[in-house]
Amino acid sequence: MIKHTRGRALRAGLAFAGLLCLSTFLAAAQPAPLMLPPLADPASSEHHAGKAIWLELVTPDLAVAERFYGSLFGWSFHALHNGDFEYAVAWLRDRPVAGLLQRELKSGERRQSAWLTFMAVRDVDAAAAVALAHGARIITEARTYPARGRHAVFADPEGAVFAVLASQTGDPPDYLAEPGEWIWSSLQVPDAGADAAFYQALFGYDVYDLPSDDGLEHVILSSDDYARASVNALPVDAVHRHPHWLNFLRVTDAGDAAERAVAAGGRVLVEPHADRHGGRIAVIADPAGAPLGVMEWNSSESKEEPK
Amino acid sequence: MTPFNRRIAVAGLALLAAAGLSGCVAGIGYDGGVRATYLGGYYEPYGYDYGGWQNGYRVGPPRGGEHRPDQASTHAYRSAPHLHSVPSLPRRTRGH
Repeated sequence: MIKHTRGRALRAGLAFAGLLCLSTFLAAAQPAPLMLPPLADPASSEHHAGKAIWLELVTPDLAVAERFYGSLFGWSFHALHNGDFEYAVAWLRDRPVAGLLQRELKSGERRQSAWLTFMAVRDVDAAAAVALAHGARIITEARTYPARGRHAVFADPEGAVFAVLASQTGDPPDYLAEPGEWIWSSLQVPDAGADAAFYQALFGYDVYDLPSDDGLEHVILSSDDYARASVNALPVDAVHRHPHWLNFLRVTDAGDAAERAVAAGGRVLVEPHADRHGGRIAVIADPAGAPLGVMEWNSSESKEEPK
Repeated sequence: MTPFNRRIAVAGLALLAAAGLSGCVAGIGYDGGVRATYLGGYYEPYGYDYGGWQNGYRVGPPRGGEHRPDQASTHAYRSAPHLHSVPSLPRRTRGH
């Protein structure tokens, strides 16, 4: 009787161990989680809600994108391999500036390559609750990534897609962007006032309405007493316009950047022109069509009035 | 089973259990689910224009210090007090 009981216990133990071994095998077969670099290294205790702290491109051809952005902005790339896709982190000297994700499109599928803007929050799940309560819809559920933090992707009430990110190492400090770094974000939507109210509820922005020359609504979103982004009504004659975030990289010469973009396989969507800050901006598209802005910023006090 | 063989079997089981448990822990994702792959990369819909700005369509940051006209206006958002000048970008550069 005792022998029989011991035998049964031994068989049960072996079965248990077998199941554990199987789970080990299955776990090992899963693709490794993407190891994105920390946003602040060394870790920072700073938090800047509503600041754009990461940008990520989705593109069908990573090699083409690397050539384009590397030649225009001096970025270098570090590949992160994952079973499902190719991902590269773009670096400017010792700082990560962007992520480039290659995701193939199905045959015959037509989608627009684009940059996704990640805004800083302290708590992604709390932000998600606020966003959904104020009319956003979720695009990608919240997930946590080692070293990076937790993020989720939403469409705002006007339809523009953005992400929120709670950085595990705090937010990068507020410095003036150097050439080759992101300097500004602009949102273009049908109803700028309504969307400004949404982002104010989400990030606690101060909102500054600005006088405009074109009769359209333009506002500035601010936090920590720094301008973080503008919200702009889409142009009135917009027929095929789409609500979207547009991010700007700092350049020393917007005209030269636009010319080099064309030479590298891109297009100019908005010709270089002076903006309200006195410097010139332009909007270009990379070879896959992803739109982005380039912006001059003169650190000196002198201000050239827009013409 | 002799006592020696029993000890070997128990030790083997313990090793297997430890390996299995460590595998489970490593395999559990950061949300308590299975290991997360990357959920990123949002393609926008195709066929839209991103240019076509008219003269005076300005989206850039202010230089800072500008004061806004004190006019009554109704917005969906709470406008910052008109006494507050419009902020600009950070001036501090790295290494300063």
